[in-house]
Amino acid sequence: MGAIAVLRNVTKDFAKTTVLDNINLQITEGEILALLGPNGSGKTTLLKILAFILKPTKGEIYFDGVKVTDKSVEETRMETTMVFQKTVVFRTSVHNNIAYGLKIRRMPNNKIGEKISEALRLVRLEGFEKRQAKKLSGGEQQRVALARALALNTKLLLLDEPTANLDPKNADIMEEVIAAANRELKTTIVIATHNMFQAKSLPHRIALINDGKISEVGTPTEIFGRLSKTLASFAAVENTFTGTARAIEDGTTQVDIGNGVQLETAAQRDGAVTVLISPSDIILSKNRISSSARNVLSGKIVEILDLDSIVKLKVDAGKPFAVQITKRSFNEMQLSLGNEVFLAFKASSVQIL
Amino acid sequence: MNMLDGLIKAFQLIFSGDPRLIEITLRSLFVSGSAALIAALWGIPIATLIAMNSFRGKFLVKTIFNSLIGIPTVALGFLLFLTFSREKGPLGFLGLLYTPTAIIIGEALLITPIIVSLAITAIEAVDPEIVNLAKTLGASESQASFAVLKEALSGIILAGVASFNRAIGELGIAQFVGGFIAGYTELLTTGIWVELQIGNIETSIALMIILLTLVFAINLALNIIQRRRKWAPLLYSET
Amino acid sequence: MKTWIKVLIVAVVVTSLIVGGSLAYFYYVTRTRLLISTTTSLYETGLLNATKQAFEAKYPIDLSFIAVGTGQAILQAQGGSVDALLVHSPSNETQFLQGGDGVCRKIIAYNFFTIVGPPSDPAGINESSVTAALGKIVDYGRDHISSRIWVSRGDGSGTQTKEKNLWAKANFSYAQISAESWYASAGQGMSITLNMANEYGAYTLSDTGTYLKLSKDGTISLVPFITETKDLLNVYSVMAVNQTKHPSVNITNAITFIRYLISDEGQQLIDNYGKDQYGQSLFHSTVQLLKQNSTLQIVQWIQDYAFIKEGNESYECPPEYRDNRYPDLYP
Repeated sequence: MGAIAVLRNVTKDFAKTTVLDNINLQITEGEILALLGPNGSGKTTLLKILAFILKPTKGEIYFDGVKVTDKSVEETRMETTMVFQKTVVFRTSVHNNIAYGLKIRRMPNNKIGEKISEALRLVRLEGFEKRQAKKLSGGEQQRVALARALALNTKLLLLDEPTANLDPKNADIMEEVIAAANRELKTTIVIATHNMFQAKSLPHRIALINDGKISEVGTPTEIFGRLSKTLASFAAVENTFTGTARAIEDGTTQVDIGNGVQLETAAQRDGAVTVLISPSDIILSKNRISSSARNVLSGKIVEILDLDSIVKLKVDAGKPFAVQITKRSFNEMQLSLGNEVFLAFKASSVQIL
Repeated sequence: MNMLDGLIKAFQLIFSGDPRLIEITLRSLFVSGSAALIAALWGIPIATLIAMNSFRGKFLVKTIFNSLIGIPTVALGFLLFLTFSREKGPLGFLGLLYTPTAIIIGEALLITPIIVSLAITAIEAVDPEIVNLAKTLGASESQASFAVLKEALSGIILAGVASFNRAIGELGIAQFVGGFIAGYTELLTTGIWVELQIGNIETSIALMIILLTLVFAINLALNIIQRRRKWAPLLYSET
Repeated sequence: MKTWIKVLIVAVVVTSLIVGGSLAYFYYVTRTRLLISTTTSLYETGLLNATKQAFEAKYPIDLSFIAVGTGQAILQAQGGSVDALLVHSPSNETQFLQGGDGVCRKIIAYNFFTIVGPPSDPAGINESSVTAALGKIVDYGRDHISSRIWVSRGDGSGTQTKEKNLWAKANFSYAQISAESWYASAGQGMSITLNMANEYGAYTLSDTGTYLKLSKDGTISLVPFITETKDLLNVYSVMAVNQTKHPSVNITNAITFIRYLISDEGQQLIDNYGKDQYGQSLFHSTVQLLKQNSTLQIVQWIQDYAFIKEGNESYECPPEYRDNRYPDLYP
């Protein structure tokens, strides 16, 4: 399995800012590579360069072993495709959106119809051909964009935050489709994400990127296994905390993550650790509830993000916690910024990396 | 003769299928249609070039086109008259004065700023990421530009119609370089004017009715098409 | 970006094709074109249309009449934009010839202007001479300064030139009376001027043709008071633009046109025009009249008014302004 793309000393400047600084990266054929980093780290720029729609200021790119030049760019572009973070669709039907790339590749019309049905089936949007793309919901549009990309069957598929703005149901579908595409179509996929959980489960390799530089590359086990500071400094990655663990007699472990916040976890550990709590594992309430949850914290709502059917909240309980509740609950509880709330989650929800 | 009388006689004239009215109408459509076509042929590429590239003086160029929209037709008409004048005009040797061709050229020049300015606005309103989208789906530079144009299509069509309306309704250029020659360079607008001078009020009114109806009908047809394109999804989708 | 330059080139090519194509079409497919500038009053009567139809049936030449005011018509001829000139203003025609711009003048028709006014004739001009009538109008005007008593063409046309001459003959300063409030200026063609006079219940000077047309249509209720006097004589002439001074003009075809106008057929057409529609001819032929050099009063009048004086002689067209290639025009 050779490298499908190699970036050598790639730098990208925009006016006076250096967005990518001396990037050296190899993308192995057939793998899923996650580019993990916070917003503004240069992930999108890197993907666009790999999609050959942006030209690096310095450095070289090799695709399939051949150096890519100004002359060969348009050809090479045919072998890669990118799905943008903010979905863009043409002002026409879903069918025409997906057919666009196929027509450029001179696919005969009858085959195009088949290909489109297949792509829509993959993203679970069967029958959507005639719908106007611009009139679909955000999640549906994103899936159309993915179908559009998959239909081209390119060697390299680049996904920029594919599930960032999706509710869990749609996000799950996307992840399944991505995994299936890699498995069955053998497409090499590079995903830019700031979501730790996605980075953990989906890819074969992870590259950590921050401030335009790649700091580490390795398998998920390697990356998460090491107690890397870089990893923990990704403040944008949800609910990651470093702290000190202390085993307690009854088989649980207390982790002090600072600012007076103590968490209880089920695993047995001692010393410096990095812990992770999935936002959907946290129960939010207005009053203190008594339950089997070992971890109960109180804090203030400092941020509210409305995403279709779910609402993501940030609660400051000494440390910032990202919590996820349904829109319905949000409306019923009549929550707003500054509200005092309680967070509860089980010891088993506190995962140790 | 009062206006009601004139109106009635005018309608009688129209419905009698008077051949001169038909000839004038067809010529107006041909002349202004050709002018709109030529203006679109060179105006849309110019608009695309300006809208999709950044360069020094871009603002100035856009401003110039914007202000040229309002050029008085008598000024342009007179200028062209001098240019095409058989003896002294620099282009006199072409023998274009007092021909329909001269009117076509003059009107094309008149409406080019309209189509360029409106097309630029339409193109600039398109999401700039469309270019990247097209490219990442395999488009070349020019294919990507076409994709942008397609997204801006309704705005561009509007630009074309607006420019056609201006052409068919103008008098100054047809006057100066056309010369109202009966059976040759008579148009709806010049016809209205000349017939009034002569005293044929009903012919004048008839031509005016035809002109207004034409402009209204074309606009109506195009608006209906636009509406179906825009609102069809809302009307026919399940959401 | 390179593609757009290609598209621009395509646009330029297509435009040139359209322009070039129509030029070629006009050159080779259509017949030759003769451009004649003339006055709106002549055009309005419809005589030119009738002439055009008859002429084009006989000759492979397309006549294009450009009807503007007399002043503009002459300017166009002086600029060499047209091939021939057909107007009714002897003083201007003289200037035109003297400027070296024209040749081969022929007088082709005459009729009379007429002073028309409201049926009630408030100024009492009926049966007066022109000079007396104008005097009465001025008096009446000065007594009723808040009304409009007289409407002028005000557009530099042949008709207005005639009007100015008449005022001068009646010893009025044109500059003075045209500034007085009872004197209105239409600044437009004859129909509009007549309509305006009709609205105001005022007097005006009109050519017979336009007046008859509007009167028959019932558009105006003005009646003619004075006509068929020497003062109101209206003479129409045709001239070709001088090819020596303006090489691009089509003198051969212009002469053909002139020949047609002075031919028996042409002159007959002029004589008969309007008889069916208005019960009287709008124009009268002049060629035979002048040829016979009869002692008829009308011939005297025409010679006095419309001939060009040089020293002791007066000519329809002085010899130095004749193109020697066409002696048949002046037998």
